Parts: sequence; structure tokens; C-alpha cells
Amino acid sequence: MAENRLNTVDLDRQLSEQTPQEIIQYALEEFDNIAISFSGAEDVVLIDMACKINPGKVQVFSLDTGRLHAETYQFIEKVREHYGIEIDVVFPEAAAVNKMVREKGLFSFYKEDHKECCSIRKIGPLRRKLLTVDAWITGQRRDQSPGTRTSIPVIQDDKAFARPDDSLTKFNPLANWTSAQVWNYIRSNNVPYNALHDKGFVSIGCEPCTRPTGPGQHEREGRWWWEEATLKECGLHAVNINK
Amino acid sequence: MKITLVKKIKLDGSLCKKCEEVQQKMEQAGQMTLIDEVLIADERDPSSPGMELASLYQVERAPFFLVEREGQAPEIHTVYFKFVKEVLNQKTREEDELKEILNDNPDLDFL
Repeated sequence: MAENRLNTVDLDRQLSEQTPQEIIQYALEEFDNIAISFSGAEDVVLIDMACKINPGKVQVFSLDTGRLHAETYQFIEKVREHYGIEIDVVFPEAAAVNKMVREKGLFSFYKEDHKECCSIRKIGPLRRKLLTVDAWITGQRRDQSPGTRTSIPVIQDDKAFARPDDSLTKFNPLANWTSAQVWNYIRSNNVPYNALHDKGFVSIGCEPCTRPTGPGQHEREGRWWWEEATLKECGLHAVNINK
Repeated sequence: MKITLVKKIKLDGSLCKKCEEVQQKMEQAGQMTLIDEVLIADERDPSSPGMELASLYQVERAPFFLVEREGQAPEIHTVYFKFVKEVLNQKTREEDELKEILNDNPDLDFL
């Protein structure tokens, strides 16, 4: 086991009181080999913040599932040029995609659910990338999935993607921010954003699995709308544990 | 080495789906014979042995495995495939691993 493992439970309590910029600063100071996950959406604020804190230390990667909107590819390129950074665009294993498409076609997610496709096109390459770093930063926020019991911590020990007998630390600096706060930051700081947002898209993922949402709709309704809401049920209720 | 498996009973009295699936996989793979003790974390009863263990080790997921080796700090495993690879030293299929990661972390598909 890694001896320098952080006590993420205690740190989460401390960092939860901090601003996203302070959390990113802490992350960049604490880890040399750390990368930002950029989805080509409003998580661009992470890049903007990190570039202002320590421009020389910003390592960014994007998952190219092969099914993104043209606007998202254009936006990734725009961000690369705007901030003068390298973006490591990572791809799924061709053999795994080929097998799925050959057996089930190009739109199997409409007939089954999106999980097999996401596993192959996102989780596989994500895992390969994360095996190369000691920590990563995501734009995940609590308000993106109000239907689940998930509470996204600001910092966590990422056991799912850690190398064997090693640790991986995951930072979610925007966990406590709302969508409105993110957009306030984008507008106040003239941060570039994906053109799809001007076309009614709130949450942006793969082209076949994302649609614009109307007023009053939650952003999750713009993703995998043909599936029933899946409630996560493997969490142990903290209320009971703490009693 | 002592291995304890903790399964969850939900508030409605049913076994959590993942606990059921994991147990099924373990039975099919003959891995249950390697488990020394099975405890229940009953969400309706905070003093149930599994809930107390979860509280002690600050575990927020079920099922989970407690691995105790003599002279070493206890290890908690909440990811089944990692437990199988790292503790039981058995092989797993990559597609199963990736699906488990996504099922356990449904918000990852937002990336």
C-alpha cells in the first residue's frame, strides 16, 4: 500500500469549506502527476482556474468516444488553442468497439441501456489514462444527479481506478457549486464554452445520447431519456451508520 | 488471513441487488468457500454486525470485504473485481470490471 495515502475523509471536511480555486490549488501543490478530465462542456472552468493558478502544471485529457458532437470536437480544439495547453485525447480500444458494433450494431444503447457502450467507450480509456497518474480532477457536481443518493465529495480515495496496491486521489472541486455558479463564472471570466449550450443543451455527452432540455427540466433529462431513472442502491445510509 | 463479506439488507427488508449479484458470482466461481464469515448490514438496525463494521471502517458501500492478516492493518475492499484480483489472486474479465465500475459510479457517465 502507498505510504503517502491522504486521509481523504478528514480532508474532505476541510476542503468542502474552500472555493473551487482553493481546492485546485491544493490539488496542484499536493500532486506532481495530476490531470484534469475535460468533457468538452462547462467543466472548462477547471482548465481556466488551473491555468490562472499554475499555468505550467496543467495536464488535461479528454475522452473521445467517437460519438461526440462536431461542436464538441471544435470546442476541445478551441480550448487547446485558447489556453495554449496540450490536451491528451484518449480513445477506446478499437477491438472492443468493433466487437460491440459487429454484434449489436451502432445504436445498441437504445435497445438495451447505455452502460455497455459507456463502459467500452468511456470507462475503458478512462481507466487506462488514470493508471498513468497519481490524482485527477473532475467537474462532477452534486446537482447533476439529484435522483441518486450519491454525495460527491470534494476529495476522495478513488479505489475503482487506483493501480494495484497504490492509491489514486480524485478531486471534484465543483462538487458544491450549482450549474448557475458555474455559468456565472464562465460569463464573468469570458471563458470559452461549447456552442451546443446556445442550442439548448445543458448536459453534453455523446451525440446520440444527448438532447436539449426545456425550461424547468433537469439536465439529467437531456441524457439517456429513453431509460428509466436508475436509483443507486448500494450505498449504506450514512444516517444509520452514524447512529 | 480472515475474510469477512458484508451484505446489505435495505430499508424495505430486501437484499441489495449488487450484494445478490456478487454473491451469485462468488458461488458460481466457488469463491464463497474462501470467505470466513458473512455479516449482514441491516439498514433498519444500526446495531446489526455489518452496520457496526461499516461504521467502524467508515464504509459507505455494500457489499464490502474486510481482509484481516496477522500483523497487518485490516483492508477494506468495496470493488469486487479488485478484491478477486488482489486478494483471491484470480482472473477477471475486463468487460465485467468496466461494467462494475460504471454501476458503482453512475455519475462517471457524465464525464
